[in-house]
Amino acid sequence: MNAFLFTGLVLLTVGAYLATRRIFMAYKHPLLNPVFLSTIAIIAALKAGSFTLADYQPAKEAMTFLLGPATVALALPLYNNRSVLRNHALPVLAGVIAGSLSTMAAALAAGRLLELGNGVLLSLGPKSVTVPIAVEIARLSGGEATLTAAFVVATGMIGSIVGPGALSFLQVKNPVARGLALGTVSHGQGTAVALHESETAGAMSGVAMAIAAVFTALIAPYYLPLFLP
Amino acid sequence: MASRRLLNIAWQILLLWLVFRCGTFLVGVLHLALPGNVAGMLLMFALLCTGVVQPALVEAGGGFLLKHFAFFFIPISVGLMGFGSLMRQSGLTLLAILTVSALLGMAVTGISVQFLHARSSR
Repeated sequence: MNAFLFTGLVLLTVGAYLATRRIFMAYKHPLLNPVFLSTIAIIAALKAGSFTLADYQPAKEAMTFLLGPATVALALPLYNNRSVLRNHALPVLAGVIAGSLSTMAAALAAGRLLELGNGVLLSLGPKSVTVPIAVEIARLSGGEATLTAAFVVATGMIGSIVGPGALSFLQVKNPVARGLALGTVSHGQGTAVALHESETAGAMSGVAMAIAAVFTALIAPYYLPLFLP
Repeated sequence: MASRRLLNIAWQILLLWLVFRCGTFLVGVLHLALPGNVAGMLLMFALLCTGVVQPALVEAGGGFLLKHFAFFFIPISVGLMGFGSLMRQSGLTLLAILTVSALLGMAVTGISVQFLHARSSR
């Protein structure tokens, strides 16, 4: 019975992913984000069958097993773009660090002003970092991993929907600057959008995503507590 | 042919997994304030830069994982089911915070890089 449920839930998740990926590939609209659509579909299916989160847990553990090696694989795009990194070291590092610090500060300061609890604030901290790393940062600093994952996915969607327009409005036309901005704030989802703009923007976005992740992981234990009551 | 490719991907993922475990192990032994997967990623980057590992040795497996990177976020996001009351209570507030902070971060990075870039290429 349990093995049955386990297999069913894995198949449901994989099926939802493949179907929504197909829809996204066909229309390429940011609101048709596969993670967003699949999550809604799976939660709806679980509710309809009156299953709980605890029923889903074993399937989740099995499916996220490869997240560790997938994160390690992020070293590949970083390595492939190492020449860009060398040639523009100062603007890249300064821009990514300034963006990471300010987006974290804005989120935590606003959250504190609006009287969100400490657990929610700490979960907001790593929201601009790619999911596997954000989840670990949240766990280490006392946030809720699941909540952080949701904030990260939401930030990725927001950035990819409003980011390009906002950058154009601010007269940021340089592809290096646009790519770095998208990757620093909206990680992998921003990188996907940047790749659509140009190869340079895409490569820079991938670099920004990796640097932002490492920098946030290093700074979070000291930086986030500054904003707590 | 297809099974050979699949086997190749599986073996390369195993290799990436080993680097991940090494990263986790190093963080534990050295008491680093760094997630194990970040340490694994940096270790992999160092192995590639020093030429100890050739990119071809992990490209197929790594490429496969990166192509389907988004898949892993789905089971994690389903956990949101447990936060129904928080979302009903402060969902809009959270959405506003995420939007404003994302826009600010992008403006800071975009404007500062464009400025520094224009200066350095002059």
